[in-house]
Amino acid sequence: MIAEKDPVIAAIDDARALLDTLLTSGWLQLHVASGETEIFLARDGGGTNPMRMIAAAPLIAAPAAQAGPETAVPVPHVATLEQALAAGTQVVAGQTVATVRVLDEQEDIAAPVSGTIVRVDAVPGVLLEYGATLLSIAAVA
Amino acid sequence: MPIKRLFVANRGEIALRIVGAAQALNIETVVAVSDADRDSAAARLADRSIVLGPAAAAKSYLDPRLIVHAAKESGCDGLHPGYGFLSERAILPRLCAQHGIAFVGPEPDVIDALGDKLRARAMAGAAGVPLVPGSECVASAADARREGDRIGYPVLLKASAGGGGRGMVIANNGDEAEAGFHKASAEAVAAFGDGTLFMERFVPEARHVEVQLMGDGKGQVLHFGERDCSVQRRYQKLIEEAPCAAMPDHLRRQLHESAVALAASVNYRNAGTAEFLFDVQRQEFYFIEVNARIQVEHPVSEAITGFDLVQEQIRIAGGADLSVSQQDVKISGHAIECRINAEDAARDFLPSPGRITRWEPPQGPGIRLDSHMSAGAMIPPFYDSMVGKLIVHGSDRADAIARLADAIDNFVVEGVPTTLPLHRAIIAHPDFIENRIHTRWLEQVLLPDYGKKAA
Repeated sequence: MIAEKDPVIAAIDDARALLDTLLTSGWLQLHVASGETEIFLARDGGGTNPMRMIAAAPLIAAPAAQAGPETAVPVPHVATLEQALAAGTQVVAGQTVATVRVLDEQEDIAAPVSGTIVRVDAVPGVLLEYGATLLSIAAVA
Repeated sequence: MPIKRLFVANRGEIALRIVGAAQALNIETVVAVSDADRDSAAARLADRSIVLGPAAAAKSYLDPRLIVHAAKESGCDGLHPGYGFLSERAILPRLCAQHGIAFVGPEPDVIDALGDKLRARAMAGAAGVPLVPGSECVASAADARREGDRIGYPVLLKASAGGGGRGMVIANNGDEAEAGFHKASAEAVAAFGDGTLFMERFVPEARHVEVQLMGDGKGQVLHFGERDCSVQRRYQKLIEEAPCAAMPDHLRRQLHESAVALAASVNYRNAGTAEFLFDVQRQEFYFIEVNARIQVEHPVSEAITGFDLVQEQIRIAGGADLSVSQQDVKISGHAIECRINAEDAARDFLPSPGRITRWEPPQGPGIRLDSHMSAGAMIPPFYDSMVGKLIVHGSDRADAIARLADAIDNFVVEGVPTTLPLHRAIIAHPDFIENRIHTRWLEQVLLPDYGKKAA
């Protein structure tokens, strides 16, 4: 079962994972080039970005991060939804909006934004894969 | 109870290998993947795949709670850990046992005991297995000098919790033993969080020989012959062969008996490998350690015995007895495996992740390829760089070398550099052909010249 992923989101996920890798390693720099993307990351003393040595290419405007007014709240790792606040509930950023479970340990999920829960996307008791949407919040305008 | 649905807690070629073995036994499969492996060959072949977490292994393949949760909630009654990652961490079988999942591997207490090199050494000694002359736990630099003087130089300082060459230092005299104590201890603390060291005689020209074992957990243990893994770089194996053509039959029998006695002494369950150092000059072998998992190089043992070790692992974990007895295990011919890594040997083995643009493996009798790669496949930069294992089986060692040379010549890979050209150079070298190699041969003899020719 292969879930197709938005290539932009996939590229951002890859970049984040590379940053994780660099920060948890002893490396000073990391340079990865594939057919689609080329990424250079460095910390203090990590050398020069090899891509800057090439003539500067025109920047392509990145698509807007959020197309609609809704913010999806994803599950941070594989887990099972225990409970979530009901649709219609007003929440503030940082407030617990859902509880997920891994084996017999529970973990609270905080709202990333203030607003109104418009929909609980996940079904309690069902295994959720990494990145699945728990619920959606319409941000306060 | 036979396993009905198997959870595969690994990635790459071994995940694919396990899915294939389970399918041959009509067992359903669920493969755990990280976000970077959603599209992997194992995920495609399995009945179901579950994304555990992001690409970083610590948040996916190395989190035992996420793995057991996913296995339990997807209705799996068995779990195969593969090799590497959590395969030798006792927490995984313990969690499996708490949640009613059969672990394809040894008991957690056995994993703990064998994972501690000092305890493993004591167990080997108690089972009558020859040990390399060495020390108990070394507590100070002065201790290291005293023990070094007693054992005789050169000596090796090793981390008790170690592996993969980290926390290991060679000392040629008392001063080096004292300096080495500080270096190895610091390395061991950094790598394993435990600075406990021990010392043993260092054999400058040793072969690495290991015995493939399979136990039923009730005291019966079989061996599937030995492997010779002496082509190594920085303690990492590059080429593995079976059998060890450099070992005379009487020593081979003693080697097998020693390995079986050790495993039987702990009622060993499932697949394991007892590793030995073979001192060719003295014609002695010494115990190194037991790896409580299936190993990367298991296919060469499968080639010369005709048994599918991963299927046997799954059956045993499901409660079955061993499917054969020792007299059914017959060794036939000679097999060689080379590990193909996406690395640039000319640039100090720099890992070279990226996209494979052409992938045309050789085919023919006696050729086996265990790989998760294909044209268009991506090698993510987050994990090890192995892209596959090429295994050949011939009537004898010379025949196997000839087949391997042909197979490598007919293997087309484009898009990333691989170690295939290096393998081709190794097996064409007179020392390899005449079987005069040892564990430091590659670094001392071939690689210095190889770099020059490539430049």
